Amino acid sequence: MSALAMKERPQVATAIEPLAFETRDLSKVFHIGRKWYAGGQPLRAVDGVSLSLRRGEVLAIVGESGCGKTTLSRMMLGLQPPSSGEIFVGGEPLTNVDRKVFARRVQPVFQDPYSSLNPRKTIGEIIRDPLLIHNIGTAKEQVAEVEAMMERVGLARRQIHSYPSQLSGGQRQRVAIARALIIKPEIIICDEPTSALDVSVQAQILNLLQSLREQMNLTYLFISHDLSVVEYMSDYVAVMYLGRIVEAGPTSEVMNAPRHPYTRALMKSILTPEPGLGLPDIHLGRGFPDPLNPPSGCRFHPRCIDAMDKCSSIVPRTLTDGEKIIECHLHDPEMAKA
Amino acid sequence: MSGLSSSSDAPVLVVDGMNVDIAVPAGALHAVSDVSFSVRPKETLCLVGESGCGKTITSLALMRLLPRTATLTARKIAFEGHDLAKISERAMARLRGYRIGMIFQDPMTSLNPVYTIGNQLEEVYLRHHRGASRKQARERAEYLLSRVGIINAGQRLGQFPHQLSGGLRQRMMIAMMLMCEPALIIADEPTTALDVTVQVQILQLLRGLQDEFNMAMILITHNLGVVARTADQVAVMYAGRVVEQGSAEDVFHNPAHPYTRGLLECMPKHGQAASMGRLGSIPGIVPSLVGNQRGCSFRNRCSLQMPTCHEGQIDLRPARGDHFYRCLLEPGATKPRPVSLGSAA
Repeated sequence: MSALAMKERPQVATAIEPLAFETRDLSKVFHIGRKWYAGGQPLRAVDGVSLSLRRGEVLAIVGESGCGKTTLSRMMLGLQPPSSGEIFVGGEPLTNVDRKVFARRVQPVFQDPYSSLNPRKTIGEIIRDPLLIHNIGTAKEQVAEVEAMMERVGLARRQIHSYPSQLSGGQRQRVAIARALIIKPEIIICDEPTSALDVSVQAQILNLLQSLREQMNLTYLFISHDLSVVEYMSDYVAVMYLGRIVEAGPTSEVMNAPRHPYTRALMKSILTPEPGLGLPDIHLGRGFPDPLNPPSGCRFHPRCIDAMDKCSSIVPRTLTDGEKIIECHLHDPEMAKA
Repeated sequence: MSGLSSSSDAPVLVVDGMNVDIAVPAGALHAVSDVSFSVRPKETLCLVGESGCGKTITSLALMRLLPRTATLTARKIAFEGHDLAKISERAMARLRGYRIGMIFQDPMTSLNPVYTIGNQLEEVYLRHHRGASRKQARERAEYLLSRVGIINAGQRLGQFPHQLSGGLRQRMMIAMMLMCEPALIIADEPTTALDVTVQVQILQLLRGLQDEFNMAMILITHNLGVVARTADQVAVMYAGRVVEQGSAEDVFHNPAHPYTRGLLECMPKHGQAASMGRLGSIPGIVPSLVGNQRGCSFRNRCSLQMPTCHEGQIDLRPARGDHFYRCLLEPGATKPRPVSLGSAA
């Protein structure tokens, strides 16, 4: 599928520090309906994704449900082995890094703070667990560390003996963040960290994540379907469609001048709180395609308003322009000539 | 949007002074207190607020689907000559699904997984049209499925809910609601579980159908973007009460209540990056609604709190014309200063 692997970002060569996180041509193929005697139908959930993240940066991945963003994050967390391609953490291949060493560098914050916390443990125990697992400090030091971390994420000290069921959604997400940060990781993978929360609580959590990032020099991989949140949070954004990154670049540039027709449709579908404008016309054919039978050529062509004849037959190349990446025939000078 | 043409029509639904109390071990939980509004044909009223503010209980109360522990009282809930607070359960069952349609957040849990889509659509029609044949019902189901934008409607009728995507299921729920051409639709977070692109398509569909079938809609959502782009009227709810009510233009352009302003400041805006400063946020959490409620329920999270906010009952007062708010301060005030008695009248 991806004979044309994405080129590395040009500025990579100039960076002295190794990249915090990198994926090269990463793919994941699931076999649907697989039996012990037969292979099943292949589903390419992630198809040749190359990303890089420098220390202290926030990279956001956006896309609709089923585009592969969660599968990508699970591979980057080491929860699922990739079918092909490589993941590098701090310049080292993930396969060479010990599981425990990896966990001290990369920690997750999940979407649903209701199901990601053990209901039978107190808040103090939940936050302390990583310290116990990694055998860091004495019991006294651990408790002090837990208390300091709770204060840092905005939890009251008296809540140390509470159970998750006694907390609100926003407070639970603070617990999940505290648990992720207690062993001082470098990279946090946030998979839709605020989509289960109310607007006012979402703002609190986003502000907290930003403050922590500045204080602790954290690197975030931020997965979201909400473009206004992505715009607020990230330095770089990658737009995913059916397992491929179709456009990527610095957030302000991609958001202010989206080039791929899919990014443009996503941007148009943001409902800003401006009355009187009515509902936008997003110019997007309906129906997310069946990932088991992805469309030929450019995978977006059945929904694209600018689709040309060649879009249904020729797979678009990956074009790099400085920090920007795009996969679309409209922006391919050679295709325009042909 | 429907402004002038619909304002001459009589309201389809008039809710006046509705309260819902739920019995809990610690006493009575005042889930909804003193809620009043009305909706006209083709008009959309948005109930907006955060979880626990009483918006879903309001919608369940209108459908009389409240849990057994809840009691509904109201001065009146007038709908097509009935008082929904008083009519019998049998009479209510005749209106539900027939004159009042409802769409829920998660279409998967509101559909029966073991019946085909066709079966479930036909059932609605046959239940309310005595003597109608299954063939008529199937024809209407097929027509409506194609009307809500489902291709191969005939084939889809034989499928089960799990075979459809979230967006298709929600379209199917809309078709089901239209089977009997209701006068009022209650849509409770109809697009929350959907992707942003599908959300826009579903909202467009609802808007179009509303004009075509002359329906009034109560749209319940926590998404201020959805409210701004679809509402004619907005009621902002907090802790069981309407704290601000008015046209979408008034509420969004001149928010009168500190809570409404806080909510608007919480939303990341286009062109706003974290490097340009933090988002506004409302500190604290929603208060308990159990027991006697005195004073302003928002006071503990309000930066403009005054001693008088703790006392008595605060009524909705007009800000300007048909724009109301429940606060002791002047509309849109940024400093805590009590209103002089003269202007409160």
